[in-house]
Amino acid sequence: MARAFIIPLCTFLVLATSSGWSQDVKLTAQTKQVVAVGETFTLSYTLNGQGNGFRGPNIQGFNVLSGPNTSTSSSIRNINGTTTMSITYTYTYLLQATREGSFDIPAATVTVNGRQVVSNPLTVKVVKGSAPTGNQGTSGNRGGNTQQGGGGLGANDVYVKAFTSNSSPMQGEGIVVTYKIFTKVPIANINISKLSSFSGFWSQNLMKENDKLQQTTQVIDGEQYVVADIRKIALFPLKSGRLVIDPLELNCVAQVRRQTRTRTGDPFFDDFFNDSFFNTGVANVEKTLKSNPVIITARPLPEEGKPADFSGAVGNFTFRSEIDKTRLKTNEAVTLKCIVSGRGNIQLIDKMNVSFPPDFETYDPKVTSDIQTAAGGISGNQTFEYLMIPRKPGKFTIKPITFSYYDLDKKRYVTLSSPEYTLEVEKGTGESSSVMTYSGANKEDIKYIGSDIRHIKENTITLVSAGTRFFPSLAFWLLLAIPALLYLLFLVLWRKLAARRSDTVLMKNLRATKIARKRLRTAEQFRKGGKQDEFYIAISQALWGYLSDKFGIPLAELSIDSVREALVSRNVDESIIAQFMETLNNTEFCRFAPGEKTINMDRIYNEALEIITKMERELR
Amino acid sequence: MRRTTFYTVILVLLAMVRGASASPQDAILSKAGKAYTAGAYAEAADLYRKVADGGFESPELFYNLGNAYFKQNDFTHAILWYERAKRLDPGNEDINFNLNVANTKIADKIEPLPELFYKRWYNSMVRLMAVDTWAMMGTGMFIAALLGLVLYTASRVLFLRKVGFWSALLLFFFTFITLLMAWSGYTFSQSARDAVLVTPTLTVKSSPDEKSTDLFVLHEGTKVRLVDQISDWYEIRIANGSVGWLPKSSLEII
Repeated sequence: MARAFIIPLCTFLVLATSSGWSQDVKLTAQTKQVVAVGETFTLSYTLNGQGNGFRGPNIQGFNVLSGPNTSTSSSIRNINGTTTMSITYTYTYLLQATREGSFDIPAATVTVNGRQVVSNPLTVKVVKGSAPTGNQGTSGNRGGNTQQGGGGLGANDVYVKAFTSNSSPMQGEGIVVTYKIFTKVPIANINISKLSSFSGFWSQNLMKENDKLQQTTQVIDGEQYVVADIRKIALFPLKSGRLVIDPLELNCVAQVRRQTRTRTGDPFFDDFFNDSFFNTGVANVEKTLKSNPVIITARPLPEEGKPADFSGAVGNFTFRSEIDKTRLKTNEAVTLKCIVSGRGNIQLIDKMNVSFPPDFETYDPKVTSDIQTAAGGISGNQTFEYLMIPRKPGKFTIKPITFSYYDLDKKRYVTLSSPEYTLEVEKGTGESSSVMTYSGANKEDIKYIGSDIRHIKENTITLVSAGTRFFPSLAFWLLLAIPALLYLLFLVLWRKLAARRSDTVLMKNLRATKIARKRLRTAEQFRKGGKQDEFYIAISQALWGYLSDKFGIPLAELSIDSVREALVSRNVDESIIAQFMETLNNTEFCRFAPGEKTINMDRIYNEALEIITKMERELR
Repeated sequence: MRRTTFYTVILVLLAMVRGASASPQDAILSKAGKAYTAGAYAEAADLYRKVADGGFESPELFYNLGNAYFKQNDFTHAILWYERAKRLDPGNEDINFNLNVANTKIADKIEPLPELFYKRWYNSMVRLMAVDTWAMMGTGMFIAALLGLVLYTASRVLFLRKVGFWSALLLFFFTFITLLMAWSGYTFSQSARDAVLVTPTLTVKSSPDEKSTDLFVLHEGTKVRLVDQISDWYEIRIANGSVGWLPKSSLEII
């Protein structure tokens, strides 16, 4: 609640103090309310007091030609014995209106006795410059009335017109646009205020800035005009289609011989002063002139037969190339020059399609232009100087350099090419190779010149019907199952076979003693019967058969050696082996020995019986 | 006698798998190869396409077709066919190289989600060879292992029996591994189908409905994984893990 009172109170105090003070000192801004484009006018601030620290407004929308200029005047008055002194400070700006519209000039401030005084803001309306404002010319002083408006200047008295040499050129074909001024009155101070940016074109000024205007006279519709070229520009359309060149605008001062009216209010004096004798003054009328816009329809270059290396050159050219040497040493520089000369958009040719050998060190070309700008267009030559340094010895070729342009006379593309150059580079001497030693090893990374996908496969294509998969297919399972089954079959068969074979061996082993004893019994009968030969055969069979059955050695493989081997492998005691061998030998000896054999028959029989029994025991 | 029947069975089985190579297709292929080398890429693509549409497949055929599209600057179809070739032969260096080159030409750059290292190793091992190659290796090793067992059973020489036993054991282990790879690759290819976007620019939706929220924008040539489908829509997942829905017509399955 308390705060609600305080705020209005404070406001009141501030208002009261400032209003009381402002009654004394005032900063008043003054200017014209309506001005024309291009007109120069003054903006003044008047301060009825002594101030300092004038802070001018931020003026936008106008050119500030000068200011703020300060002037002071003081006056002393004595009224009824009271002397008052008043000082007036005036701050003046000189402004020029640049474009149409309504512009606000914000307030300026000045400090008086440590207090800020604020001026009134202003609004200036800028109207079209159709009515050029006379400025204070020579005649103005006389009548004290300045000339306003271009009343004395006819619409056709002075004008600017743009001409083009060809309004439908090919893309890249040069045209010349000429701006001419036509005037019936003397003019001065031609000042181009706005020149088109020629967007969509490459432009080249064909007139030097300081050239004097060449004047000619021309009669148009029965009236004599002075005509002068004020600008001449060569233009090369960079794209096809409709291109608009904005109008050129210029300011000039036309000198109009003109009566000035003095308004004295007295008809006699008016007549007197407005008499032609006195009225010898010339009015300088400032005028803004605007040319017509130019519309260019650029035709596109034909697509048909367009070379791949075409880069936009249009005209009529010749092309040649020079190389300063073809035999050189490594690290020596070689210069390749490409020279294009002729007429056309020659300066737009910015590079040549030179394919250097990959191992060469190359630099950006030095481009030298020698261009003549004549009224008819542009001609000259453009030189590209390529410097290259081979770093490796070898034989290198520079492929023919091609240059393509569109020939306007022949109406087709022309491709010119240089010869192919072959460079023979020898290994340089030691001093030059020392340049390279910093690289250490004489190796370098592979340089990739391009990248591309890998080539197609042509010979290894094995087509398969779509959707056929080996995994998991019947074939896959069969390929697993069939070998497995085959193996199982094999296993079963093998087991059976092995079982059968092991059976026979075991049987023979078990029956070996039995058979041996049976044979020995047969031998016993032969002995009793006196049949010597049969006896020995039976003994022999008993011994050999026993070994064969016992050790699973086939009869065909039986020999003293094989038997010994088999016995040794069974870890049979050496004495038993020896005894067995002896018995065998004795039997064989007695069997084939001549003479009486009966005596030994008992001994042999006992020996055989004994050794078989011993063997039986040993092998158990 | 037994051995010869064994070989005959294998040969018959192999013939069943590989199919007889058709001679008219070979003529078209050589013509296409010539057209490609001569620079007539569109013609080469048409010819390769004809063979592929005729129900034949081979990694080399798809690779060549991808190349023919690449040379026509149709990177989207190049990627599609390279991916198809890669499906048949995942470990082929040339296919992977060209696929990488083609992938640099498309608009979308997707940072793939990092995989766990053992998963990555396992997957890269599975992708080392085509499923069928793994399966064939597996069966070959199985047969070799059985032969080892035969050696172990039948030989009377102790050393040979040892060799037979250990080699059989080792080969059974490898059989297991290779068949595991084949099976992994097969289940992977059955469960997850990939597709390539063939429409220039596409907005991925939050649900299978034209009116649903726009999630993100993809461009043609991008590979997506199909997760689910509802009527005319596929649920897709891109390499960075983002998921959304796309109309079926905008995709072509690899």
